[in-house]
Amino acid sequence: MAARTFDRETLLDLVVNAVPLFIMAFFVAAFVLFAPFGFDPLASLLQFGLIVAPFVALLVLTYFSARAITDAERGGPVFLPGQTTPTEARPVEHEAEAEEAGAAASSEPTESGDGDA
Amino acid sequence: MAITGQIALTVLMGLFLVGVAAWLARVENWRSYTPVGGGATGGETAYGSDEKPAGLIRWLTTVDHKDIGLLYGAFGITAFVVGGLMVMVMRLELFDPEMTLISNTYYNSLLTSHGITMLFLFGTPIIAAFANYFVPLLIGADDMAFPRINAIAFWLLPPGALLIWAGFLPIPGVIPAQTGWTMYTPLSAGVGSGNQANAGVDLMLLGLHLTGVSATMGAINFIATIFTERGENVSWANLDIFSWTILTQSGLILFAFPLLGSAIVMLLLDRNFGTAFFINGGSPILWQHLFWFFGHPEVYILVLPPMGLVSLILPRFSGRRLFGFKFVVYSTLAIGVLSFGVWAHHMFATGIDPRLRSSFMAVSLAIAIPSAVKTFNWITTMWNGRLRLTTPMLFCIGFVQNFIIGGVTGVFLASIPVDLVLHDTYYVVGHFHYIVMGAITFAGMAGLYYWFPVFAGRMYQRRLGKIHFWLWLVGSNITFLAMILLGYGGMPRRYATYLPQFATLHQVATLGALVMFVGGLVWVYNFVVSWLEGPRVEDADPWNLKQSGLRTNEWAWFERKRETALADGGDEEALADGGDPVDEE
Ligand code: HEM
Ligand SMILES: [Cu+2]
Repeated sequence: MAARTFDRETLLDLVVNAVPLFIMAFFVAAFVLFAPFGFDPLASLLQFGLIVAPFVALLVLTYFSARAITDAERGGPVFLPGQTTPTEARPVEHEAEAEEAGAAASSEPTESGDGDA
Repeated sequence: MAITGQIALTVLMGLFLVGVAAWLARVENWRSYTPVGGGATGGETAYGSDEKPAGLIRWLTTVDHKDIGLLYGAFGITAFVVGGLMVMVMRLELFDPEMTLISNTYYNSLLTSHGITMLFLFGTPIIAAFANYFVPLLIGADDMAFPRINAIAFWLLPPGALLIWAGFLPIPGVIPAQTGWTMYTPLSAGVGSGNQANAGVDLMLLGLHLTGVSATMGAINFIATIFTERGENVSWANLDIFSWTILTQSGLILFAFPLLGSAIVMLLLDRNFGTAFFINGGSPILWQHLFWFFGHPEVYILVLPPMGLVSLILPRFSGRRLFGFKFVVYSTLAIGVLSFGVWAHHMFATGIDPRLRSSFMAVSLAIAIPSAVKTFNWITTMWNGRLRLTTPMLFCIGFVQNFIIGGVTGVFLASIPVDLVLHDTYYVVGHFHYIVMGAITFAGMAGLYYWFPVFAGRMYQRRLGKIHFWLWLVGSNITFLAMILLGYGGMPRRYATYLPQFATLHQVATLGALVMFVGGLVWVYNFVVSWLEGPRVEDADPWNLKQSGLRTNEWAWFERKRETALADGGDEEALADGGDPVDEE
């Protein structure tokens, strides 16, 4: 995908869906190179269609969801997921700060708050 | 070739329907539709709780998403108990190789009903329970987008359940279906010398159809709600993970369940009106294609929201945010898409064209990646975290453990040569029970314990919660590991009797089931007693999430609700309505 559309951070997040895409591409190549069952117009068309269709669908959905998320990040305040309304909630400005917030959260002592001791 | 021809026709038909949908979307201006009877116009969806009538009438007429969530929950748990009792009878029968306790045909009836009950009457509804209660709270909506459709969707379930169980009721001439939950033709079409032409099978199919309609209505409602009813500041950038999984799941339901409905109608026509889709010269394999095009997405319909629950709850007790939140979001979406491209991995042994088979293997291997990614995210979230081993957290960890075994066994099954050996053995039964019981039900329990203070207003007994967890963890691993070993030994699935060489492992499996049964008793006792007389929740943040900066919207809502309830002087729903504070330690 065009590097300008998504920043490095987002592209990194998208790697997770690149892996299954790669696996499907790999099998398409493999089935082109090795065809132990031979070629048959209909069966081979279906064979490749069955991999190409999910490939394209995954590509399209990944693109549009990444678009929606990136636009939302640029367009308004970003809170931690699901944490918009608690009184103590504050928007995180960008990832670096979010990272700090996360680190701070995890270093706070929580033993005393063990609700299930 | 006949089969590839059929697939080609199916693909063409699919493209045609997409074309029709696209055309409709162009000519119709959907936005100009005004909903009749209200309920869908923004802002008017909040049905105030002050309007609720009292007693039974309230529950019969409610359109409040929280009440409907509770109804779904009560329904799902009832079905879980029914399905659980059915399987206990089956496991007892399997304690010895011969036919002893029940007849073979009754075993088959229980087997069929157990599967359908657990998947359609427990699995889907219990997820809808969480989704109804908590998605609007998590996304800051007043209610669901269509509260009345929400109520209708729920009320289709009880008649559906009655129809599905009709064969067990004392109705003259009606016997239970013995088709297995997959309802393979020609058996399910009622041909041959068996008794499956009985009306009991038709009733079950109709019941299944109703639950499918219910699930589809619910799904449309969730999609509309999550797209249009999000509160201020809730954007795609910070939608919580549970709502993401519900959104994806609803998308899957929208494409999968109508297909099941159509296939069921076709089967009913074959059974009753002499059509020839699957029998009378039609293709029995066509049923398998249609069924699994629904059936595989169905397994992800069942597993995605539990994954969302674990992704939501597990970090709260690890003292840190979910590692790689967006990985989890994107991989959820990936699973959603790919789950429609793997259906024939259930049909490797049917003799379909080997070229097609290899494509299904390829996509099945690809879909394992997003699942594995999530597993690593959960483990990494816990890594070096400050773990608090509360009951919900224990169930989340149990989920991860069981999901790893269930997932890895699944990947092996996705490989054609391995599957040809293991297909239709207990290995498959072990594989999917690690997931449906070990993972999905465990995550459901995590949710039930985690939010118990919210919906019951009281606290459960912690010690009993932990006993429940350990009994289930140990019991499920005993039972399902024994099943996997039975499968390696070649024990075929769906039999009431077996060769003596399998006796030991079957007895082990029954023992594990009994351990789980005891755990289930502890759970029911704990929930009933705690619901009635557990210590009232004194703190709006019972899990101390505020302290670690991890409090989510539903707990903030809970706090506001408690404050207003107190200010009002309390109503029947008020949580701290002057009841004696009970010390919890
Ligand atoms: C990691 C990804 C997974 C893969 C690659 C996978 C693969 C498979 C395969 C190939 C089979 C067919 C075995 C046979 O009948 O010979 C199968 C059966 C099954 N799987 Fe999975 N699976 C996966 C995850 C899941 C999940 C998440 C669920 C449930 C939520 C699930 C539920 C089932 C069920 C219910 C069956 C048995 C269906 C039946 O014949 O009654 N699987 N799986
Ligand atoms: Cu499958």
